[in-house]
Amino acid sequence: MIYLYDGTEEGFLTAFTKAFSDENAQLASIGFQLPLGQEAVTIETDTSLAEKVKARLLSFDRRSMRELGLFLRSGDEDSEQVAFAYFRLLAAKKRPVREMLHDEAVRRADDCLSRIGLEIHRMHGFIRFMETESGALYAAFAPDNDIAELLVPHFRARLAGLPFVIHDVKRKKAAVWDCKRCFIAPLDRAEVLLSADETAWQNLWKRYYESVNIPSRERLRQMRGYLPVRYMKFMPEFYRQ
Amino acid sequence: MFDKHKFVCYNRRMISEDKLQILTESAKYDVSCSSSGSSRKNTGGMGNGYISGCCHSFTPDGRCISLLKILLSNDCIFRCKYCVNRLGEDVRRATATPDEICELVMDFYKRNYIEGLFLSSAVHRSPDYTMEQLLLTVKKLRKEYGFYGYIHLKGIPYADEALSREAATYVDRMSYNIELPSDRSLKLLAPQKSKESVLLPMKKLALEKSVFQAERKKGHFLPAGQTTQMIVGASPEADGQILRLSQSLYRVTGLKRVYYSSYVPVVHDSLLPEKAGGALREHRLYQADWLLRFYGFSADEIAGEGENLPMEYDPKCAWALRHPELFPVEINTAPLETLLRVPGIGARSAYKITTARKHAKLTFEVLQKMRVVTKRARHFITCCGKYYGAGNQDAVKLLLAGEERRENAEQLSLFSSRETALSALTGEL
Repeated sequence: MIYLYDGTEEGFLTAFTKAFSDENAQLASIGFQLPLGQEAVTIETDTSLAEKVKARLLSFDRRSMRELGLFLRSGDEDSEQVAFAYFRLLAAKKRPVREMLHDEAVRRADDCLSRIGLEIHRMHGFIRFMETESGALYAAFAPDNDIAELLVPHFRARLAGLPFVIHDVKRKKAAVWDCKRCFIAPLDRAEVLLSADETAWQNLWKRYYESVNIPSRERLRQMRGYLPVRYMKFMPEFYRQ
Repeated sequence: MFDKHKFVCYNRRMISEDKLQILTESAKYDVSCSSSGSSRKNTGGMGNGYISGCCHSFTPDGRCISLLKILLSNDCIFRCKYCVNRLGEDVRRATATPDEICELVMDFYKRNYIEGLFLSSAVHRSPDYTMEQLLLTVKKLRKEYGFYGYIHLKGIPYADEALSREAATYVDRMSYNIELPSDRSLKLLAPQKSKESVLLPMKKLALEKSVFQAERKKGHFLPAGQTTQMIVGASPEADGQILRLSQSLYRVTGLKRVYYSSYVPVVHDSLLPEKAGGALREHRLYQADWLLRFYGFSADEIAGEGENLPMEYDPKCAWALRHPELFPVEINTAPLETLLRVPGIGARSAYKITTARKHAKLTFEVLQKMRVVTKRARHFITCCGKYYGAGNQDAVKLLLAGEERRENAEQLSLFSSRETALSALTGEL
């Protein structure tokens, strides 16, 4: 049986409880393309039930809800299923299970979480801001996981006093820091008016990038291992002329 | 309220693209680009430290760009034989002003192109003048421009020690280049430098730092410590000798890292080899260096004084093959420091093993599923008492060497595993 929930944390916890004792349960958020012939039920989110389950899982493992938040941001196809198996094990063991790497469920959960962690770390480096006419900064990107919001604290700490927008063009939403608070806004297309110097700085950066390379030591495979091609689209050093 | 005039810059001091190119091309053979080790806080300006380091881009040569690596000037009065910028060499010369560098750093940093600045310089006019200019630049960057990001500053040999001491209070890391692994080679190839001219300032700064820490003074003094680099393959020193030098630098001078740069012939000189040093030797030295720093090995265990590292397999494999009496070890009971000495098991795998075995007995299959790389390790371990290796020493040697050849043949799969990718991202590499 497939259990469809609304994609929220409460929804997941409700579906988790309903599906708990079903051996062949599969969890997915609404909108999931159902395979032919598969039975599905839509789970109505039950906030008070979710609260109870949440408290219970937290009593087993204080980090569990932080992890759930990350699972729900994962771009992996099967992340809900991975989370389901992981929390089912947690509920059975009644203590933290993340160290039990011999267990398939834990390993898959660990892989899923590390992929998100890796992408966040990479994006701390690969995000590229453009300076707009007003002085605010704008960055577009298309991450594998829904992490725009999670990047804000990092840039907020270092760009003190500068407002910025991090635009996830894949999910059509933006994380905005206006120097007072952070919020998420739906954003399809952004009209960005660049500052007078922006192109000149981008050109300087491109020239720097070309000059610092040692052509006689080409190692493209190594480069692409560190910097996947799909991220290059948003980085000026890789813009086509 | 956000004050845009505080941050928007009007390109009055924007460096020209050509000047940037000259000063970058002159700096690019410097190896270090790490931005780790500093957690400087932002107190009302731009930037902060990122303790694990952060890579912002990668160039087609597979190296990361973390810092803006640039020379203040490439106009040199020294005549080091191996250097592109040596006196009398026919290259385009340029000198940047401190403000040009500062503007460049601020605007690159703001756009998240870089993690900070790695500023170096040719010896322009005199060592003292050069060091003064470097100091002026980093001081300006911190005080006038309000920059709190990472700064790595190259120390200039023979410059007044008061200058480098003051610079150390502004920057996160300083480095003096040892250049060559022995005094003899230095005299031959860099006649105007001497061992003392680089070792002495390093020792002085190390001493100053320990005093600073002991007195718990306010402010900073090289929070990310010191590093150095040397060219390998331009002079005849054996790997064993090089590793002994590195070991003493780590132990005595408290260096964070030694960088090895495989010799690239950029200028011709009768005293220099015509051929490049080769990437594999450099790679082996780094592997050995890791063994010194993270795996509890001493230089004596890795290579004899006059010996070179074997090319067929990595230094840990070579060591294990010399000590068959110590293997195999049982994965479920061996202490961490023993696991770390098993070929193919790195710090991350050893940690995974010690964590997981608290909860269950680990079989060979589980080990593989945990993505512990077993192609080398299997010859040196048992899982629940069972051995999965080739058994006799000759067969093991053959297999290991074959494995290495395959790896090296695939152009630089040396670094393309997920584990190394991770360590490069975190700035360890």
